[in-house]
Amino acid sequence: METTIWSAIVTSTGQESFGGFPRESYIAYALWGAFFGRIGSNWMYEYRMIEEIETGSVNGVLVRPISFFEYYLSQFMGYKLLTTFISFLVPIFITLTVANGPTIHARLPLACAVLILYLFLVHTISFSVATLSFFLTRVHGFTVAKNIGLTILTGELFPLDLVPEPYRTWLLWLPFSNSVFVPVGYLTGRLGIEDVARGVLSIFMGLAFFGMIAAVAWRAGCRRYSGTGA
Amino acid sequence: MKKYLRVFAALFKACAIAQFEFRLNFIVKLAADLIWYMTQLSIFEVLFHHTRSISGWTLESTRVFMGILFLVDALWMMLFSENLDRMSDKIRRGDLDLLLVKPINSQFMMSLKVMDPAYIVNISLITGWLIWALTQLPEPVVWSRLLLLLITIPCGLIITYSIRFLFSASALIFTRAENINYVWYNFYRLATRPDTIYPAWLRYTVLTFLPLGFVASVPARLILETPDLVLLAAAVFAASLSLYISHRFWNFGLRFYSSASS
Amino acid sequence: MNSYENVIETVDLTRVFLTYRKAEGIWNSIRGFWHREYVRKVALQPTTLRIEGGEIIGLVGANGAGKTTLLKLLSGLIHPSGGDARVLGYRPWERKPDFLRRISILLGQKNQLWWDIPPADSYDLLARIYDLDEKEARNRVTELAELLQCRDLLHVQLRRLSLGERMKMEIIGSLLHRPSVLFLDEPTIGLDIVAQTNIREFLAEYVKRERPTIILTSHYMDDISKLSDRLLLISKGAIVYDGTVPDFMNSVEHVQRLTAVLERPPESPRELASGLVLSPGTEMFTAELPATQIAPTLQKLMEISPLKDLKIEEADFEDVIRKFLEKESRLRATGGPIAT
Repeated sequence: METTIWSAIVTSTGQESFGGFPRESYIAYALWGAFFGRIGSNWMYEYRMIEEIETGSVNGVLVRPISFFEYYLSQFMGYKLLTTFISFLVPIFITLTVANGPTIHARLPLACAVLILYLFLVHTISFSVATLSFFLTRVHGFTVAKNIGLTILTGELFPLDLVPEPYRTWLLWLPFSNSVFVPVGYLTGRLGIEDVARGVLSIFMGLAFFGMIAAVAWRAGCRRYSGTGA
Repeated sequence: MKKYLRVFAALFKACAIAQFEFRLNFIVKLAADLIWYMTQLSIFEVLFHHTRSISGWTLESTRVFMGILFLVDALWMMLFSENLDRMSDKIRRGDLDLLLVKPINSQFMMSLKVMDPAYIVNISLITGWLIWALTQLPEPVVWSRLLLLLITIPCGLIITYSIRFLFSASALIFTRAENINYVWYNFYRLATRPDTIYPAWLRYTVLTFLPLGFVASVPARLILETPDLVLLAAAVFAASLSLYISHRFWNFGLRFYSSASS
Repeated sequence: MNSYENVIETVDLTRVFLTYRKAEGIWNSIRGFWHREYVRKVALQPTTLRIEGGEIIGLVGANGAGKTTLLKLLSGLIHPSGGDARVLGYRPWERKPDFLRRISILLGQKNQLWWDIPPADSYDLLARIYDLDEKEARNRVTELAELLQCRDLLHVQLRRLSLGERMKMEIIGSLLHRPSVLFLDEPTIGLDIVAQTNIREFLAEYVKRERPTIILTSHYMDDISKLSDRLLLISKGAIVYDGTVPDFMNSVEHVQRLTAVLERPPESPRELASGLVLSPGTEMFTAELPATQIAPTLQKLMEISPLKDLKIEEADFEDVIRKFLEKESRLRATGGPIAT
């Protein structure tokens, strides 16, 4: 669906290239973007964490040997890694055969590595959102709002290098661009290795930032939780 | 007819009262909607940085298009979304039975049982945006054309409803229809972009078999260009036909349902 | 409401439906993709009934015996496979609005009222759906709520009420339009004793006032024995008993429960008249016996030891029905699904 739309957009401008890149580039971007975007988003496990805190079954988790964070991290990563391997077979197949465009397959491993690193950040953010359940009811709306906003910030909707300055630099420094734009851009030849390096750096910054928030929120939440008793 | 209007009014009022309970929820949902509107609009803002026109649409006219799209979407969310999304669930659980024994059209009740009057806020905001977008057009807009919206927007809404209803109502026949929502969502995306960007075969489709082009593309065009009466008539025709088909399908499905369940 | 002849009448009303046999094992699952083996299940055997106006019918049977099927057929929710039925002169499955206005169905575990709004507002909605005069409807609500002792809850949101309170509200909702025929499917299921009694008393009172025709299914025998004029026992899709409750009690083997407390428990097993064996050390002896066996058994017990306490009770209605149904289903063991 997306590819049709992008193809139409580029052809309709009557130009050969758009924003400096040819049509095939966009089609490839859209194709890979869809898959990277899906892997990089977290609905299910965020809901599960929220629900567990909401329903008060956190008690069971607090007593476990591994922490709440680690438990869900392992579940989340396990699930994502598995689905990544399986679902990526589709675009790999397509770009190797039908749409033999600008995809540089040799770059795929590094692109995936960036995505996997990003997933740690995703989990940390989801965890932070989930801790809101200690303080508010019905946190689901936040998940929805956050994930919608992320569709732009990750580059899933369109390649972020199309964005005019000064916004472009901001967006590229935000860690979210590493879900789709950085890996897929690198994969389709829009970006170089320097951009990947910058992306990785931003992920670590994001991890530090959100990790701190998560830790603080969790402790505050637990205190409040045991304060009211359940 | 009067009875149905009265029931509708009562349902709307009742749902509105129920909503005042969930204030925080309302704010969060509104925020999510606003973020969604902004992301959709930003796509085009960014794209038009690199080109003057896309298949005859400029930035200004695309804004009008999006305004109309959001309007239909908000109406949809207000009236039907909750009901049709949950419909297959309800049918599976047998909640339909309680509606069937009432002396009122079951399609009507299924479609409108739970509404979301809070969307009136969205509708006001979107209308404001739409008017602003119209003032930004390079050629002064002919305001009287806006009256056409009173026809075209309901038509777009009815078409969306009917197609979605067909998908949901298939639960009467195929009890395991979990993927229906996903399929529908992908179809609906066709309506979210101006029809002229599509290749000819697809453009033809969204103006005939799957009349999603009438949701936003046609209404926008009718305001931006000299109104094409044929197009207007086509919109009304498509709306009536799709509603009729949904009604027939529902009755057919009900007969199937009554014969198949125990 | 006037009672008149044969409010409900069925002639060989039958309901058969097809399901496919679920395959076992991988091989058969794959084969099942092409070739589905359909099984013909008889939900309701050809049934002929006559129910007069104002009667209260208790419909009892095991799960899956066909109670709900019969109810759904008579309320128009499903089509019969054969035979005919008329309720208030209409064919239910044609679902004519005039017919629907005069019936009501209450399904024990489902809510017809809106979840997030107070019942009072739901009733306003229902009034509009049933074309009732608003003021009259409100009076009716007050009247019913008084009888059910829940008037102060009318303006509380439905989701905040307890299960018993919700059920009361549902009942009011189903009686709002003064139905001539009422189908109650497990109205007291899941409720505590107090709520059950309240509802039972209410129904008894309501019936005296308005004389509707009611078909009531329940697993609680107290519902049936205290409210019904007539008892229909259904087993594997067929009516196996149709008569009054007292007649039923008389027609089945008269069973009583004997409870005796012995002063000197025996030291070795002792056989009693009824063929039962009294184990050593038993202080309290309880048994359900046919009435004829009570006296001899008692005599034997008294030979073994003087009695500290003695109680003879009528068997539970529930036990009687259960035994009757068990016996019936054993007799009907051949009436199972037939593969086509």
